[in-house]
This record gives sequence, structure tokens and C-alpha cells, in this order.
Amino acid sequence: MKQFFTVFKFELLHYFKNKAYIITTSILCVVAVIGLSVPTILDLFGFGEDKEPTGPSSSETSDFDTYGVITNDIIDLNDPSLTIYFPSINFIEYTSPDQLNEDVISETIEAGFVIESDFEYQYLVKNSSMHDPLVSKFSNYLKHNYQLVTFESLNIDSDKVFEVLNTKVSSETIVLGKDSVNNYMYTYILIMMLYFMVIFYGQMIATGVASEKSNRAIEVLVTSAKPNNLIFGKVFAGALAGIIQFGAIIGFSYISYEINSAAWNNGLDMIFHIPLDAILSFAVFGLLGYLFYSFIFGALGALASKTEDINTSAMPITLIFVGAFLVVMAGMNDPTGSLLTIASYIPFSSFMAMFVRVAMTDVSMVEVIISLVILVLSTGLIGIIAAKIYRQGTLRYGNPLKLKDAFKMLKSKD
Amino acid sequence: MILEVKNIKKSFGEAEILHNISFTVQSGRAFGLLGRNGAGKTTTIRILMGVFNANEGDILLDGIPFDQTKYKIGYLPEERGLYPKKPVIEQLVYLGQLRGLKKAEALKNSIYWLERLGVIEYKKRKLETLSKGNQQKIQLASTLVSNPDLIILDEPFSGLDPVNSQLLKDVVQELIDINKLVIFSSHQMSYVEEFCDDILIMNQGEVAILGSLNQIKKDFGHNRLFVSSTNYTHQNLKEFMQSNFSENVKVEAILKKGIIIELLNNTSKKELLNLLLKTDIDIDTFQMYEPSLNDIFVDKAGDK
Repeated sequence: MKQFFTVFKFELLHYFKNKAYIITTSILCVVAVIGLSVPTILDLFGFGEDKEPTGPSSSETSDFDTYGVITNDIIDLNDPSLTIYFPSINFIEYTSPDQLNEDVISETIEAGFVIESDFEYQYLVKNSSMHDPLVSKFSNYLKHNYQLVTFESLNIDSDKVFEVLNTKVSSETIVLGKDSVNNYMYTYILIMMLYFMVIFYGQMIATGVASEKSNRAIEVLVTSAKPNNLIFGKVFAGALAGIIQFGAIIGFSYISYEINSAAWNNGLDMIFHIPLDAILSFAVFGLLGYLFYSFIFGALGALASKTEDINTSAMPITLIFVGAFLVVMAGMNDPTGSLLTIASYIPFSSFMAMFVRVAMTDVSMVEVIISLVILVLSTGLIGIIAAKIYRQGTLRYGNPLKLKDAFKMLKSKD
Repeated sequence: MILEVKNIKKSFGEAEILHNISFTVQSGRAFGLLGRNGAGKTTTIRILMGVFNANEGDILLDGIPFDQTKYKIGYLPEERGLYPKKPVIEQLVYLGQLRGLKKAEALKNSIYWLERLGVIEYKKRKLETLSKGNQQKIQLASTLVSNPDLIILDEPFSGLDPVNSQLLKDVVQELIDINKLVIFSSHQMSYVEEFCDDILIMNQGEVAILGSLNQIKKDFGHNRLFVSSTNYTHQNLKEFMQSNFSENVKVEAILKKGIIIELLNNTSKKELLNLLLKTDIDIDTFQMYEPSLNDIFVDKAGDK
């Protein structure tokens, strides 16, 4: 145990003395603090005082865009409802299609409409964009115009008809369990954080092991300490360094938001005010999952002889992890679905999937405990396997060893 | 202390790397572990240190099974390696602590060895900024920092200039004098001859020769004489011997300074000398042949 703590302390100090680690953590903390203080700073300097109290909804500007229309007497450009449909558009009547084309191409006007019948029109535009809301708006207007004209010809009171058609039904959703919509945001952010932690620190642990192998320090290390203590010390130190880094960023963000929450109108409460059960499940499952992958990355680092070989060695597990992440992200859209339920029992994905389920749905304690037990046992087992691969892999040089070789090593009694 | 290795066998996969290796190392007597590249020296060393388990055989220390965790082992690997980007003192203290020392003791020992090896001024420098020779000294300090009971030195002299080699020789001799178990592996036979009382030459995973170096030399030189003359070239001397005394001697080799002959049919040195004195050969050297370790090594570990 003493040896484990010696390795753990040495490796942890290695992170803390690493300039890249200190600078990255500091920059991210500063960015979080400043980013969350922006509304307060803006208020302080008087920006946003003339803001509309209802919030930013005035996307329309006072500038009018000009559009050309060949009406063919189907619509009246003086129709008051036209300005309701198109408040910032000025329509000009054209008679010649060629002139209309020319003006669209020369950008004299934004675009043009050629109305061919009550139900048909052409939209002339120089460059089309993916989503042009004008097309559906203009279709709606034409439809409305046709309805009015038809009701009038049939002597029907159009106001009455529209009143009936537009009757509103009011509803109120009372969430008795968990509100997936509100919880989605913080769940999403925490899952992304886990993803980056595993990828960043997994790679760092693998690189650390492989560099000890490439600079041959491993020769002295494995003859000075038990391999189990070496790999466990390294992985736990890497895990703690990651937790401290992300903890610092979360902590600074939280404090900064608490100070500035008034300026945000408490708009980010749904991210920062996370229920205790979600925090607990994130801490427990996140930590175990993180250790689970860190052990695998540590063992894979031992399979590489040079740091350049790590990508080759770590490719399969990176693919599995990214796959598990995508499954969980997809499962977030349907947190009660079977995809996420199955994923919440498989150790490769359970630490993310079970957290999502706890955060977004009601999960029975039995399910949480079963998933937790599977994850704890798997992490322990992976730790033991990783230690064995580490011991075997560290003294083998040459081409990077493949996973197949690693499994052979497990059977060996060396 | 007596370290006994008994009938060690080791296989990797299907291939057996060590076949029945046995030897004994006594404290206060340096032991030379020799062999060509791939002979199985490093595997033997790793089994001794508990990095690998032997498939068969025993390792005993003073008659009881050797538990590596209860003793401090200092290992200087042939492939040198420490942390290039860390300060010297930091890694020495770390390795000392890993081998069971308290931090204060590890620091004290580190400073002692850095001073003893003349590299104390580099204690705060990163290892990669030092010269190869100084890095070698740091590596030796890291081997000795835990005050080990068993010291295994694999090619300790490589990369050292003559002054530093002398310093290292003194240190190794001190370790032998204070009754440490010292195992010395090298291809530089002169150093082995200088330090080692006992040697094991391994060849393809087997014991090629084992025992006291003096005895081995004596046995190897048994019944062999080294002869040279002032008026005969070595080649002419060889031909003369073969044509005139074929009943009494067999010429084994021509060396730079003379020829080696083996006495046949119970011919004694005195009889041969009398025979030679009756010829016109002007004898320059006539002595018992004592082989160098290099000759023995080439003979035992070389391609047949």
C-alpha cells in the first residue's frame, strides 16, 4: 500500500507540475468565470439597459426589403393583410416577367413572385438558401386569400369561420416524476464532460505508460515496485488529476454563476441547480466509468513501445467508447427506451447511460444497484487484467502488441 | 548470504529459453554472469528479481526460498532508463521510496551517492541535460540509493571514460568488500576478470561453464604450455613440433606471441624441455598456458 501511495503521489505531482495542465486549468477557469460574468459586466457599463423587457424577439428590422410580384389580378397588393403576413416587405407590381427576372439577377430586388393561379405561383430567387421562410409564408398568404375570396363568393362570414377554426385549447403539464426537458441540458453537459475526461486523461495515462517504456524507465520501475502498485497508482493519480481539473472548472463556474445569477435572470438555473440524486449518480458512476476506461488505456499504453504507437494500440477501445457515447446521446432523446436501458447495464456504457436515466427518468433503486455492482466488479476485474497486461507488456519491445497478444498474455503464468 | 539458483527452467510460449540453470552467489565474492546476446542472462536476472516466474526450479537465500519483497535489490539495467525530463534528485528519492525507504532516508542516500559519484552539482538538473557519462552515474546512484542487499550490474562500464571507469571500479570493489551480493554482467572481459571470483558462462540458455575463475583458468590451461622461440617463427616452430615431437605434443593454436601446445602421452614439462634443449631452438618462453577469460568465453560461448 505504501508503494501505491508513493507512485500515486509521484504521478499526481507530475500532473500538478505540468505547465500544460496548470495553464489549461487556469485558462478554462478564467474563461468560465468571465463568460458567466458577461451579463453583469454589460449591465455595469450600461449595455442592455434599453433592452426590451420581453427579451430579444425583435428580429424584424425597420428596413424594408423589396420584392417584385406579377399578380395577374389574383391578389391585391394594397390588401392590408399582406402587411400582416409580410411586415417588413415592400412589394412592387411587375408586368413583364423578363423585367422581373432581370431585376432579381441584378439584385435590384430581393426576389420575385409570379402568381399563375389561386393555387400556383413561381418564386424567382437569385441564390436559394436551405430554408427560405418566405415560400411557406407566401403559400399561406395565397391560401388565405383564396379562402377569403371563396367565402365571400359563397356569402359565408369569413370572420366567423376563422374564429371557429382558430379556437385555442389550453393545457398544462404537471410533471410528477422528472422533467426530461429541463434536465436535458445539464445531463447533456455532464455527459460531454465525462466524454472529454475519458478521452483526454485516457490518452494521457496511455502516453505516460508508453513513454516510460520508450525511455526505458520501466526497466527500473518494474524491478523496484510491484506492477499492480505502479498501474493502480498511475491510473488513480490520472483520475484524480482529471477530477481536480474538471472540478475546478465546475466549481469556478458555479461560484461565478451564483454571483451573477441575477444578471442572468436565473436563466441558467436548469444547468447549475442539479438535484442531489443526479449529482450523486454522476459522481459515483462517472468516477467508476472513468477508472474503468483509464485502466484499459493504461494497459494499452503498455502494449506500445513508443508513444507514437499509442493511437494504433488505443484505436479499438476509443472506437468502443465513442460508440457507447453515441448510443447514450441517442438514448437521451428517449430516456425510457430499451436502448438506454440495455446500455445502462453494460459497463462500457453504463456509467453514462445509468446517469442519464437517473437524471432524466425515475429509475428504481434496484436497477441502479444492479448496474453499480456490475460496474464495480467490471472495473475491479479490468484493473486486475490491466495490471497483468502492464506487467507483461512493459518488458516487451518491438512492434506494438495487438489486443490478441494481450489476451494471450493473460493466460501466461509469467 | 548465499544465493542459490537451482535448476531454473523458463519458457515463453512454446520456446524454452532457460534449461536447468544453476549457480551460487556468495556475498563478498563478485559473481560474473556472462554469455552472448540472447544467451538468457537478462531472463535469468529478471527471474532473480521476481519480474518473471520460473517454470521450474528454486531460488534460495541462505537455504530458504528467496522472497524478493523482503530484500532490497539494486538493478542497473543494460538498457539505461530513468525520467529524462525530471530533476535528478526527485527521481532518486522516488526510486528509493519505491524500494521501501522513508523520504528522509531516500534523500540522505541520494545525496550520499551523488557526492560519492561526483555529480552532486547536477541534483536539480533534468536528467536529459546531462552528458551520457553523468547520466550513467545517476543511473548507478539510482541502483544503489536503497542500500541494496543484492546488486545486479548489467554492463556498468559502458559509456564511461577511463577516469569514471576507475571511480566505478572503486565503488564496485567497496560493495564487494562490505559483503554485498554482487552479480556482474558484462561483455568487457577485462572488467569481469578484475572483479569476479566466480563466473557462469551461459550459452543458448544452458550453463556452458561455471565455477571459480581461477580454477576455470587452471582447468582450461591444464596440460597446455605456451612456447616461443627467438630463432623460429611461430609457424616454423609449429611445423617443427609437429614433425619431430608428434608423439609428445599437439599444437593447438598460434597466438601473437607464441604457440600453445598440449602435452600428449603423459609427457611431462621437464621431458619436453629436455627434448627441446637438444634441438637448435633458442627458447624464448616456456611456461604453463593460462588462458584469458576472453579465450575461455570464445571457446565456450562461440560458434562451434
